[in-house]
Amino acid sequence: MDRRDFLKNLGAAGGTLLLASPWLSAFADVEHTRHSKARIGVVGPGSRGRFLMSFLKNNPKAEVVALCDIYRPSIDEALKMYPQARVYTDYRQLLEDKEVDAVLIATPLDVHFPVAMAAFEAGKHVFCEKTLGITIDECYKMYHKHLDTGRVFFSGQQRLFDPRYIKVMELVHAGTFGDIEGIRAYWFRNGDWRRPVPSPELERLINWRLYKEHSKGLMTELACHQIQVGSWALRQIPNRVMGHGAITYWKDGREVDDNVSCIYVFDNGVKLTYESIISNKFYGLEEQILGHLGTVEPEKGKYYFETIEPAPGFLQMVNDIEHKLFDAIPFAGTSWAPETANENHGEFILGKRPQGDGTSQMLDAFVEAVITGKQPPRIAEEGYYASALCLLGYDAIEQERILTFPDEYKLNYLNHHNPTTA
Amino acid sequence: MKDSVITAQRKRTELITLLVCFVIANVVNLCAIIAYGTRFVELVTQLGYVVIFSVALYICWTVLRLIYYGIRSVVRK
Repeated sequence: MDRRDFLKNLGAAGGTLLLASPWLSAFADVEHTRHSKARIGVVGPGSRGRFLMSFLKNNPKAEVVALCDIYRPSIDEALKMYPQARVYTDYRQLLEDKEVDAVLIATPLDVHFPVAMAAFEAGKHVFCEKTLGITIDECYKMYHKHLDTGRVFFSGQQRLFDPRYIKVMELVHAGTFGDIEGIRAYWFRNGDWRRPVPSPELERLINWRLYKEHSKGLMTELACHQIQVGSWALRQIPNRVMGHGAITYWKDGREVDDNVSCIYVFDNGVKLTYESIISNKFYGLEEQILGHLGTVEPEKGKYYFETIEPAPGFLQMVNDIEHKLFDAIPFAGTSWAPETANENHGEFILGKRPQGDGTSQMLDAFVEAVITGKQPPRIAEEGYYASALCLLGYDAIEQERILTFPDEYKLNYLNHHNPTTA
Repeated sequence: MKDSVITAQRKRTELITLLVCFVIANVVNLCAIIAYGTRFVELVTQLGYVVIFSVALYICWTVLRLIYYGIRSVVRK
């Protein structure tokens, strides 16, 4: 779905969409901002940073005016997209640039916090890739710095802007799939997650995802996206988490687990299970939302109702005759048959195979917010909890304990109340 | 090779046979709808299967007739 279709659908659906996804109000002034431009500085134009820049390039309201990285090849690649951009090797110099309205942070995880805090201090709007910080404390401080400075704050949770997820949540919240009784999220890959390193001293900088000083591995790089889908669907924040992780296959000197599993428990007993393995990709990635009337698989872009319309009578009859004629006659067989899954091909949520993942719409929303200076409702809170929950899961794995969401890091949001600020 | 002649009578017989097969197939479909409690709109939506079933019936009936005429001609000799 391109920008024009997205905005058209948004206008047509209006209130119901904004109820499930209030941050879409970022597009409210899209006509008034037609002749304005957001000037953006990119800190960390590596592969992810350039991927985001490729969407900004398609938005006439956005211009990347500055780039900052300590790794020259990344700068050289980024300059191919924006040859006029000013180049810095120190983010503090970029933040002093008066021509920069907002910064897009796509650095290794451990660098998000100092850059974002300094950017808010410098009066810049901030788009920070997920996970926001490397500890819950960092995420909490970033969120409050955004509140204190009044600057726009987005995190890289593109599913919040993906039309199929928006539609799914509208249906889920309307009760179309009944009571949501469980959420199963998983992300399976088969690869070592490594990038080629030109010289050994760059190993930890380029493959930062594999080392604990820079990243928390699968929980912060993959789970962060999917756990957020659970709290979005249930409109609740889970309060307890347990988990386990290990390095079971890629024993190549990495420090982060290649095999993790977590159970998040909501107050009503509903659970979100999360699993990620990077030595088998058969099941790919999905967030399965399980209601008592139906199931949604937003990644596939499909939903399935529990009761499906029966096959035509004629085909049922042919099927029955065929079984009577050709099935083996059982004797002394099992009295119990396994309850295998129904063959239910489901329906596409948007009527067709999914396209895109919301990144384009998310960046468009950020550009709109930078131009208007208005923070869309709940986007910072969703970003904060997505980060905090995956970090809490990581802590549960590390400590091998059941952890409860700490009161001191709660926001006054959904079912959470912070006793110190209430 | 000799020219084959299909008489008007033969054509009429075959068309009536095919029509009877089609009617039988529709009756079977109707019975299935009643037996399995599905929707009557299937009388129209399942016409494709009904046509296939009619042709299958017609082929079966033709094979039976060929066997019958074959045996009869052997016996008469």
